[in-house]
Amino acid sequence: MNPLVLYQAVAIFLLCVGLYGLAYRKTFVGMLICVELMLNGAGLSIVAAAQLTAADSALGQLAALLVMGLAAAEATLVLAILIVVARRFGRTDQDTVAELRG
Amino acid sequence: MMENAAKALFAFYCLAIAVGAIGAVRAENLVRALVGLILALFGVAGMYLLLDTPLLALMQLLIYAGAVVVLVFFAIMLTRTSDGFDEARPRPMRAYLFALLAAAVPGLILAWTVTRHPVPSEAKPAAVGVALLGKGLLENYVLAFELISVVLLVAMSGAVVLAFRHKGGGK
Repeated sequence: MNPLVLYQAVAIFLLCVGLYGLAYRKTFVGMLICVELMLNGAGLSIVAAAQLTAADSALGQLAALLVMGLAAAEATLVLAILIVVARRFGRTDQDTVAELRG
Repeated sequence: MMENAAKALFAFYCLAIAVGAIGAVRAENLVRALVGLILALFGVAGMYLLLDTPLLALMQLLIYAGAVVVLVFFAIMLTRTSDGFDEARPRPMRAYLFALLAAAVPGLILAWTVTRHPVPSEAKPAAVGVALLGKGLLENYVLAFELISVVLLVAMSGAVVLAFRHKGGGK
């Protein structure tokens, strides 16, 4: 079988598991873990596509590094938002903060 | 010989990713979910090694397993509620079905596209030296490099501002 398709299948698996968890999880930390899984799948897909085809390999690796940087930034912000939510509501599940004021 | 070793390693990393990812999604205890995430991250790092990108494998371990996992662990510990785990409560059948649907629809579309229109693939990945990557960061893609630095800086300072705002006894 085509090696690229195998790597893409792993990436799609990570995306699917992440999406499932994102819909299934109730706490924000669990959702954050699922988003990290999906971003990993994205990075793997980019690198596999760049390394195994005629595309520019350096560009693919740098794009994957960019994805990792964005994941780190996103995790930092989610941590701060979680602290604010936990301080204000006492819990961090999605049902607690689902209602708008008014 | 080498090909068989690569195939065996690929299967091994696939197993690590599958076990880790499913554990990360299904575990009721969030710390166990985090352990599953770490296993999946190591599996992806192994895939990067197979793709002949050792720098990315190192960065994967350094940034994800080193920094992001520690951040998530802080998030678990700082927001732990006293009444146990919210994830342990049973939920209606509808929740499982919707979650499965949310995962299956994009997954099936993407899988169909990938298998239906396969791109011709090289048997061996192209090796790129670290020097070339550094050159790319400082010449062709310098704007993206600078922008990601700004994004990281803004995210870090934003996190500090958000987390410290209510310390003075305000609301």
